[in-house]
Amino acid sequence: MQSFGDIKQITPVGADAVMLYFSGDSLDEANAYCQRWVASIKRYANDHNGERGWLKECVPSYDSVLLVFDIEKIDTHGVYAFLASIAKYTMVSKSRAEAAHDEHVKTIPVWYGAPEANDLSIVASRTSLCVDDIIRLHTSCIFKVYAVGFAPGFAYMGEVPEVLACERLKTPRKRVPKGAVAIADRQTAVYPSASPGGWNLLGLTPIDMVRHTANESMSLLKAGDSVKFVSITEEEFNAYYER
Amino acid sequence: MNVEVVDKGLLSLIVDAGRTGRQQDGFCQSGPMDEDAFLWANFLAFNPDNTPCFEAIGNLTVTVDAPCVIAATGRAVQLTVNGHPKAGYRSEFVDAGAEISIGSEQMGCKAYLAIAGAWNVPVFAQSACTVPRERLGGLEGNGNTLTNGDHIEINAYPTSTLMANKVRAIALQNRNNYSLAAPIRIIPGYQYAHFSRAAQRMLVTSEYTVTSSIDRMGYRLSGPDVACDIQKMRSEAIHLGAIQVPPDGQPIVMMRDRQTLGGYPKIGCVNPLDVNRLAQATPGETLHFVYQNNEAARADCLLALCRRRQLQGEML
Repeated sequence: MQSFGDIKQITPVGADAVMLYFSGDSLDEANAYCQRWVASIKRYANDHNGERGWLKECVPSYDSVLLVFDIEKIDTHGVYAFLASIAKYTMVSKSRAEAAHDEHVKTIPVWYGAPEANDLSIVASRTSLCVDDIIRLHTSCIFKVYAVGFAPGFAYMGEVPEVLACERLKTPRKRVPKGAVAIADRQTAVYPSASPGGWNLLGLTPIDMVRHTANESMSLLKAGDSVKFVSITEEEFNAYYER
Repeated sequence: MNVEVVDKGLLSLIVDAGRTGRQQDGFCQSGPMDEDAFLWANFLAFNPDNTPCFEAIGNLTVTVDAPCVIAATGRAVQLTVNGHPKAGYRSEFVDAGAEISIGSEQMGCKAYLAIAGAWNVPVFAQSACTVPRERLGGLEGNGNTLTNGDHIEINAYPTSTLMANKVRAIALQNRNNYSLAAPIRIIPGYQYAHFSRAAQRMLVTSEYTVTSSIDRMGYRLSGPDVACDIQKMRSEAIHLGAIQVPPDGQPIVMMRDRQTLGGYPKIGCVNPLDVNRLAQATPGETLHFVYQNNEAARADCLLALCRRRQLQGEML
């Protein structure tokens, strides 16, 4: 399908979905376009007299968004025509991140090298950095949350300095512990609960990434947030649970 | 009415149609692994489409303390009431105190048990689905699957009303065909163009075996290597049935409880109709793939929907 504007590529995915990829010289720029389009798609797609429209899922990531549609109401050509029709409103509107302009930095304490989540030696051999340098590099950056997904509250943050970039494991692990702080390529994240995963583990955080209340479950981090990691000791880590 | 889990079998949980619109927060789609069996179970038990039901691997046994209507579905499903074999894919009237057991002739297949009435079970993010990986849903809300002694409260419809309805049943030839002889249809997409021509052809000309690493998240297959030359890519949304290929070249078909985003290259998506068939495949079974255009896949799905509605219409 012919792309247009900020959309670099539009491609069908399965019987009932399309994937949009956004252009941009940097990841920040592509992510800003992505957030802007997502806001616009949500505003216009389901706005038919309060009736549920054709859009079943709208799942954004770094520089892409998956749109799942109801096959009884629309097809890929209809979705394409919809996108073309909202393009002129979308290009000028502000993304949520720009509108909020939130300078607040959230801090996440990490016990680096915690035995349950320690791939520091693997990362050291892949990057030729010593363990202290890995920790220093990881705690010195302010990361931006590009997307939330994979698991409830799992925030993809970037970008990790090029020298610390470290590829995923060849075969994903069957179990990564809750609170594991990890890197893969130029991304970093915290595993909100125990799950399978293929990232390189640096340590553990005692903080809950998803707060559960009676009927709702909220993610600590949202797309557009700024985040900084700080190093804590094993004693400080344990103290979080005693409080 | 009270339903008690006497024997949970290998793995049993409560499912409904799943969560819609929450994948953007990282909540997985969830829902029944075999949607066809789930929809029929509820229809045959006189329930609306989104009513919760049991999804069981192994033999699940429950008792009910009031008369009610049940229906069991799934691949090679087996149903017994008080030890007497009964037909699957059919409304079954049972008495108070009945002991109901469901399972499958083929070890590892999922069986569905629907019980007529409104299920009084906790709902999270608009769904009663249990997602163990997310520690979400289930009777305690912590993602635990069913255990022996669990109780479920169902506001059963008066059986007199149900007796007035005629029994609903689906003839054998109208049930889903779970045979893996027909190829699994794949709609090329995602990073398809980045796979080598050889890998693209290899996938549809080779036999793949279902491994023992299969769960609600994904089905790992083993067969010829179809690795992709992409080394680094940004994580992106994973659709139902997406075929993810990690660097070891062994495809993983992503199922209902898959993670919402992931960074491994994907060669395409399995047709939703074949996702049901694959969900009922067991370790050691072999299958083949074939490519299908996305418009043809949508047409297949619409036809299947029409066919199901027509069959249901004839029974109303």
